[in-house]
Amino acid sequence: MTTHQLLPLEQIRPGMILSDVLLDARGQVLLPQGAVLTENMLSLMPRHGIEMLSIQAPPLSPEEQAALLESYRTRLAHLFRKHDPADPDDVTTGLLLSYASHYRLNTGAAA
Amino acid sequence: MSTALPLITAEDIVAGLDDLPSLPAVVMELLNSIDQEDVDISVLAKKVSYDQALTAKTLRLANSSQYGLQVKATTIQQAITYLGFQTTRSLITSAAITGAFPEGRCPGFDDKAFWRHSVATAACAKVLARHIRFNQDYAFTAGLLHNIGRLVLVSSFPEHYAQALAYRAQHDCSMLEAEQTILGVDHVQAGVALAKHWNFSDTIRLAIANYSQPEVAGAGFLAALIHVANAIVCALDLAQAVDDMVPRVSPVAWAALGLDEDVYLQLFRETELRYGEITAALLS
Repeated sequence: MTTHQLLPLEQIRPGMILSDVLLDARGQVLLPQGAVLTENMLSLMPRHGIEMLSIQAPPLSPEEQAALLESYRTRLAHLFRKHDPADPDDVTTGLLLSYASHYRLNTGAAA
Repeated sequence: MSTALPLITAEDIVAGLDDLPSLPAVVMELLNSIDQEDVDISVLAKKVSYDQALTAKTLRLANSSQYGLQVKATTIQQAITYLGFQTTRSLITSAAITGAFPEGRCPGFDDKAFWRHSVATAACAKVLARHIRFNQDYAFTAGLLHNIGRLVLVSSFPEHYAQALAYRAQHDCSMLEAEQTILGVDHVQAGVALAKHWNFSDTIRLAIANYSQPEVAGAGFLAALIHVANAIVCALDLAQAVDDMVPRVSPVAWAALGLDEDVYLQLFRETELRYGEITAALLS
């Protein structure tokens, strides 16, 4: 799984990796996901009105990653503490939990 | 628990509204005209420009990458030219409302977390609206205002609200339930009262009134959209409020949006990105 952080342009250094595809105002791709940012690319950002970029965080050690996933799991369980998975009338909240889990924990096919 | 305070009535809420901070007159004008197309734009733009703080905040928002401007807007008139009147109007009102209420009046009420939740819901609602081709400006404004009744209660009845917060923590129930128990009224009623007092458009008022029960007849589509956006924001933990709780998601509202998992995963991501930008523009 990749973690990402949204950083203002001033804090972004060449060599950092874009965690998301970067689009301009008309939805045209400026840079693909995973692009390694260069000095030149960064200098062009203000022209496109871009002030912040989503940057890939440095890879975590397996232990850090496990701890992070565990904290997400605990937090999701807390946020959804009123949801009863056995309640047939509350399938929708369960769907949201399942999507949020796939998103946060990067499990499931789609993420 | 401290001694019980007398219950509040709907009339008490209305009586308290006059003591609330007022929005700049031009912002009221903009809010009232949200359903109108024939507004004299240049006059309004000029009036807004007299308020420098409001102008600065609006332009910061307009120039965030959410709106993807190629050229920076440096005046309200320019923002209108580039983004259109509807969008600029929603930006101006957002900028005004996020600064209108005094903070720290009620012990235990986390103003910052309140606004993080509101802004995140606005961001999420806008992203949802784009996916289903609904009016994005309505969605953004309604998302920002869906909980505004809380601020009304906090500002007018801080002692009551502090007790409601304590009750909620003690019973781990929804805020709506705690409000109804301790105050006898809830933030939805207070929000509707404010919407009438400030002459919000019918569209926005209906969304505030029905976002927590989008399945009732006549609730309107925007209520369903805000209902789902609100739940997503809780599920993604965007407000970072320790005791946040995902409310029960209405199957009716969920079905009304008709989106599948792939789309949701994509819009979770977009919401997080947009939320970061809007927070920087509105809440800094």
